[in-house]
Amino acid sequence: MEVTEQEINHLAKLSNFTLQPEEKTALKKDLGNIFKYISKLDELNVDGVEPTYQVFEMENIWRPDEITEQDADREALLALTKEETDHQIKVPKVL
Amino acid sequence: MSNKYEITIGIECHVQLKTKTKLFSEVDNDARGKEPNSCVSPVDYALPGMLPRLNGEAVKLAIRAGAAMNAKINPSSRFDRKHYFYPDSPKGYQITQFYHPIVGEGYIELPSGKKIRIEHAHLEGDAGKLTHFDTYSLVDLNRVDTPLLEIVSMPDMSSAEEARDYCKELWRNMTYAGVTYGDLYNGNMRFDVNISLKKPEDTKLGTRAEIKNLNSFRSVERAVLYEYERQSKILDKGEKVKQETRGWSDATGKTTSQRSKEEAQDYRYMPEPDLPPLNLAEDFIKAEYDKCPELPADYRRKFDGIIPADTLEVLLDYAELMLRLAEIHAAGQPVDYVANLFASVLLAEENQSLLNDKLPEANQLTELAEMKAKKELSSTAAKEVFIKLFEPKHASKSPRELAKELNLIQENDSATLEAIVDKVLENPATKKAQEDYKAGQEKVLGFLVGQVMKESHGKANPAAVSEILKNKLK
Repeated sequence: MEVTEQEINHLAKLSNFTLQPEEKTALKKDLGNIFKYISKLDELNVDGVEPTYQVFEMENIWRPDEITEQDADREALLALTKEETDHQIKVPKVL
Repeated sequence: MSNKYEITIGIECHVQLKTKTKLFSEVDNDARGKEPNSCVSPVDYALPGMLPRLNGEAVKLAIRAGAAMNAKINPSSRFDRKHYFYPDSPKGYQITQFYHPIVGEGYIELPSGKKIRIEHAHLEGDAGKLTHFDTYSLVDLNRVDTPLLEIVSMPDMSSAEEARDYCKELWRNMTYAGVTYGDLYNGNMRFDVNISLKKPEDTKLGTRAEIKNLNSFRSVERAVLYEYERQSKILDKGEKVKQETRGWSDATGKTTSQRSKEEAQDYRYMPEPDLPPLNLAEDFIKAEYDKCPELPADYRRKFDGIIPADTLEVLLDYAELMLRLAEIHAAGQPVDYVANLFASVLLAEENQSLLNDKLPEANQLTELAEMKAKKELSSTAAKEVFIKLFEPKHASKSPRELAKELNLIQENDSATLEAIVDKVLENPATKKAQEDYKAGQEKVLGFLVGQVMKESHGKANPAAVSEILKNKLK
């Protein structure tokens, strides 16, 4: 299945990626192969078949509304970010 | 607004549910006054391998909220991922209920009696908060996955007033049901208003603009009025309204373009594989549904012809006051005087701080109303006792006990009153007034009543005194 340059550009925009021309060519080929592989499913007739949401057949799994101590504190989590200022995560200007 | 175009309004409202913890993690949901990123878990950070765990209380509150909008609850509901790339969401997607929401069709009844239909309502997690600076933005994830119920109305509103009334009624119903703190100032309920215009003869709706993130009833009303003007000017010129998201500024009273609306498919919705579906039993749903108390529309029917409609509309903003009136009504006691005390005394600007204190009990209020009806208390004295009942040191006293303590019980006993009147009439200082009255100067009676009141230290019933004086001076 052919993936167009336009589709690659659209996906890159949604994901906020900047792609070099050679990366686009590679992605076009890889994504095309993935789509081709998955489109095998189109051969099956799935009329009236429920989509598979999950494979464990569990339902109504929820927890009580109680605060628990977290095993990672604020500093540990902030340490994972590239840059922080005043206990906030600093990111390039958006919008 | 002119009548040239018909306006069609639909509203989406995000209600913050009052759970202790977040929708998918066990951290504190109340970040008010807390430091940035102090109410955050590895799940909120979306660290690799972290899995969301659904908060059962949010499910229960969603059902109760559904009851408060007369809605059907869907026994089967699921979660989906809505993808977008923005720093307010470390996951890169929001967990929401796109295909199978928990709350189905319902309606909200406005004070006018008009019913605004609800299309559905779904559970979802909130995004983080961004603060923008010149060259960078700062991210605070405290609000990530705070539980929200998004309530989507049908486009059933056709004026700015109706849009305002709907938002206010929705706020009342949600706070009565106790599913949210309803603190509008802190964004506990945020309204997105979709507005389109069409000529009366057109059957198809016009292109709509969406005004995002309004957080007061007044801004909803003003934004609709502004959009009517803006869109009608475009249509007058024969141009087309652009489908877009707009922001509102209270300061300028204008809406401004924010971004063209992304196509729905750009969100690449897919089932959330980390959260098993809900298949709720009928009795589980019923138990939560039944926790929804009486709503404003119920009170309008109950107190129709008992409490004046304009007084009732003022009181309906205060669920606690309505509960008390309902309690008194259920005990077969009259509510009109107590309703009047609430509206004209308690809600008077100078007394509003009393709302933070404990409201007097139904039996105290009933006794106070009885004492007033039997003229044991003058109108002024009854108000004084009412206000004092809010003071912690008086809160447990009966109004009679308190009135006695404050020496406010009115003297109605005719023998006692006659004795005081006689004493006043015997006083030579009143002789001239008595003669003037007998000579036809009826206004002098007020002076004589005043003298009796003074003699009784303010405790005599002035109406009774007036009658006795009239008889004696015939």
